[in-house]
Amino acid sequence: MLMEMSWLLWPLLIVPALGALVCLLLRSPKTVLAGVCAVVAAEAVATGAAVWAVFAHGPVEACAGWFYLDALSAYHLAILLAVFGLSSVYAWFYFGHEERAGHFSLRTARRFGALWLGSLGAMALVLISNNLGVVWVGVEATTLLTAFLICLHRSPGSLEAMWKYLIVCSVGVAFAFIGTLLIGAAAGQAHLPAGDALLWTRLRDVAPDLNPALLKMAFIFMLVGYGTKAGLAPMHNWLPDAHSQAPAPVSAVFSGFLLNSALYCILRCLPLVEAATGNIGWATGLLTLVGLVSIVVAAAFILFQRDAKRLLAYSSVEHMGIIALGVGLGGVGVFAAMFHVLNHSLCKPLAFFSAGRLGQRFGTHDLGVLAGAARSAPLWGGGLFVSLLALIGVAPFAIFMSEFLILKAAVDKGDFLVMAIFLAGLSIVFVAALRYAIAAAWGKSSEQPAPAQPLPIEKSTLIEKALVWAPLGLLLAVGLWMPDFLRETLTQASGIITGGP
Amino acid sequence: MNEPIDGLMVLLVLLNLWLLASSRLIACTRIVAAEGIALGLLPLLLSWDQGISGRLWFIAAASVIIRGVIFPQLLLKALRQANVQREVEPFVGYSLSIVIGVLTLAISFWLISRLPLPETPHLALLLPVALSTILIGLFVIISRKIAINQVLGYLVMENGIYVLGLALVKEIPALVELGVLLDAFVGVFVMTIATYHISREFEHLDADQLDSLKG
Amino acid sequence: MTMNSTTILNLALSVVLAPLLPGVINRTKAFFAGRKGPPLLQLYYDLWKLLHKGAVYSRTTSWVFRLGPALGLAAVLTALLIVPTGGGSSLLGFDGDLILLAGLFGLMRFITVLAALDTGSAFEGMGASREVTFSALAEPAFLLGLAALAKLTGSLSLTGIFGGLTVESWWSAAPELALVAAAMFLVFLVENARIPVDDPNTHLELTMIHEVMVLDHGGPDFAFILYGAALKMWVMGMILVQIVLPAHSGTWLVDLAVLLAGLLSLGVAVGTVESTMARLRMVRVPQLLVTAGALSVVALVLVLRRPV
Repeated sequence: MLMEMSWLLWPLLIVPALGALVCLLLRSPKTVLAGVCAVVAAEAVATGAAVWAVFAHGPVEACAGWFYLDALSAYHLAILLAVFGLSSVYAWFYFGHEERAGHFSLRTARRFGALWLGSLGAMALVLISNNLGVVWVGVEATTLLTAFLICLHRSPGSLEAMWKYLIVCSVGVAFAFIGTLLIGAAAGQAHLPAGDALLWTRLRDVAPDLNPALLKMAFIFMLVGYGTKAGLAPMHNWLPDAHSQAPAPVSAVFSGFLLNSALYCILRCLPLVEAATGNIGWATGLLTLVGLVSIVVAAAFILFQRDAKRLLAYSSVEHMGIIALGVGLGGVGVFAAMFHVLNHSLCKPLAFFSAGRLGQRFGTHDLGVLAGAARSAPLWGGGLFVSLLALIGVAPFAIFMSEFLILKAAVDKGDFLVMAIFLAGLSIVFVAALRYAIAAAWGKSSEQPAPAQPLPIEKSTLIEKALVWAPLGLLLAVGLWMPDFLRETLTQASGIITGGP
Repeated sequence: MNEPIDGLMVLLVLLNLWLLASSRLIACTRIVAAEGIALGLLPLLLSWDQGISGRLWFIAAASVIIRGVIFPQLLLKALRQANVQREVEPFVGYSLSIVIGVLTLAISFWLISRLPLPETPHLALLLPVALSTILIGLFVIISRKIAINQVLGYLVMENGIYVLGLALVKEIPALVELGVLLDAFVGVFVMTIATYHISREFEHLDADQLDSLKG
Repeated sequence: MTMNSTTILNLALSVVLAPLLPGVINRTKAFFAGRKGPPLLQLYYDLWKLLHKGAVYSRTTSWVFRLGPALGLAAVLTALLIVPTGGGSSLLGFDGDLILLAGLFGLMRFITVLAALDTGSAFEGMGASREVTFSALAEPAFLLGLAALAKLTGSLSLTGIFGGLTVESWWSAAPELALVAAAMFLVFLVENARIPVDDPNTHLELTMIHEVMVLDHGGPDFAFILYGAALKMWVMGMILVQIVLPAHSGTWLVDLAVLLAGLLSLGVAVGTVESTMARLRMVRVPQLLVTAGALSVVALVLVLRRPV
């Protein structure tokens, strides 16, 4: 059942856009950071209303079909706001410390606020657009808006990372546009009117009649293009640099949602391609392959990683691979992949939060120096320890559950080779990362901490504690017992990917 | 209205080859600007017979102004500010670059003839030239050292995609087209600012030397 | 008049008028430089003078050195017989003669190079090496350009090609023809040792390409070389002009007038290029030739995808 409710979706774009402009006018770094939190809170309210409408009444359409919100996009939208909400609050503390140390000027603060909210709006645009062309515009906009967030603090390293990110992702996403054009051409062949040629809902209706060869080509371009942005190997080169050089709140958003928003675009196209090629599993097979490659490549790099943020970045490559693998396997795997999106997006920001604050404390992200951090900085050291455990899939946390379900999907399908590679990748990551997690908790710092300018550590406030333990508690709870509404949501979202009603 | 379109496509091919052969960054910038202006005229020629709507005039004008005037101005300004290198400094020599450019053209013709693309006999040149332009843009990005050159390569690639879009999709909604143009605009804007910061921080614009982050 | 007699008349005119072309170029250059310049007929005077001199042969040279000029002239005269001279027919045209044309030019170059090497002079060896390098790059451009024309007109003989090219061809295949013409113009400049590849007026052996190879020839031998070079320029000029101005009015006099006017403008064009451009650095010359080849290939690709 469709509803024409423009008023429900417009605020999702208008609030961040206005907020970004307002940020440019505020007069002190503190007010900018507070303003960001306020705008994100307002956006969260608007999102809450839209998501509630979708799950209560079915998909929402607006503006003559240009906007469309169904279970899949609403679910992603909710995660987007969760990630941004957590990261904005964290940014208050992270940049607050820098500001007291004199590293966070008003100019930087304004730039941060405007770009931060701008990218929030762009990601929201990706999720609520029905037109594949506008989706592409949104993805490219996120690239451009987030580029300068990487080099908020200008240094040779951050500039290099920013340049790589900018060029690699712009070129990659340009390929996705070729894919979009090919879908448009297929729609033209299927006699869809020109105005509707790129509308996802119209395409879905005529998907079985679309030219399979064109759709296959389109999907390859999309997979390469959006896959670059999503950090799927072997197109992931920009990712570790950007994640490690960006300030921690930005890394958290990159890992927590930027990658997912690109992956979301691939997932959107998947049912179209599958329907056009006759549901023979061509596209899902490709996705499985890319997923496995990502897992293996990430595992290989994690093995030799010493930098905490780079380690987490490669872990993101791995988790994007796991999500792609789950969707590729089909069946319960899609459900599990959707579940995994939530788990990863909750857990990874937390890990970056901890790594970032420890980095401020110790002046480095070297894991050798960070060893034993849980003693000297209990909250964030502990946070890093537990979030690493959760990320590598230690049992009661939800990530274990979703990975387990994906394994189950592989077994159901009888695909034991995939299962073996998947397991091998997971165990390598498990062992490699566990080493560092244990060191972080109980180890002895191998090197004398020699920070350039260590920021004075302050007593953790209640909110900071909540920032660490609330997501972890949530992960634990969801891992132990999945509430009905979440199960229903996941079922609906995965139903859209598999091409169900 | 076939011959002018064919002529425009051949012009695009020649400009691409010229870009590969040019050793001066300023000349390269001008060539890309010329490409932008030529491509702005393409949608007008394509729908000359059906009559040109106001929407089309608007998009053509926006395209010419942004691709033909604003982009080159931004890049030339960045070049002046960087004030370091004026030579292209290729990894691949000019002659070999031209040969590769011609090869991409031949490959594109061959590929397009194989692919199950919608039949557009009167636009036979559009698709292969678009593909070869995209490939040449990619080649410029990977074969030239200077950061500004990579921006130029990106622009050439965008030009190719633009032609591809005109050939493949009958009518892209104006909003999408403007969005794409806006993205390209902001993209170049951001990239030139980035080159400015890189040249200030490193005192060069050599993207080849941006290699400290590894592993 | 019958077809053959007009052709023979045209041939005779070519043989007589060929030395005029360098004169036109030199006058154009003189005009740009603000000089009066040598008379139009200067090359005739030079040839006359040289033919009345005796030749001096170094003791280190062999019969190859003496064979060079004569064989070179013979080759280019043969080439003249297979290239249509206005109005679209040649005396000895046959299918595939475009390969022979390239072969004859190759033979001419080959024997010139051999004669140069035969002297044992370091300068001449250097010139020979450069000549061979550049012609190896120019030849593909020339042949591929002809191949594009052959495919366009569906004929394998020069007569057929230039007979098949009409003004209408320019309406239907303007891009291809323009590309071939541009490539041929570059090949023309290279093959005839003009700026921007080679400077016919240079006085420094180190920078010479073509001129340095013939330094040791004198008297009638040198006259043969000069005349052969002029004739080669005429032949290639005719090819170029017949691509750009494919006139087939049927009236002998009109076609001839178009051809001569075309050659005259070609001379002016070359003179203009030489007056306004500097010679390229030696390392950039291959790039120019590769460009010419690229133009030919693009033309060929465009012709090939054309529905028959």
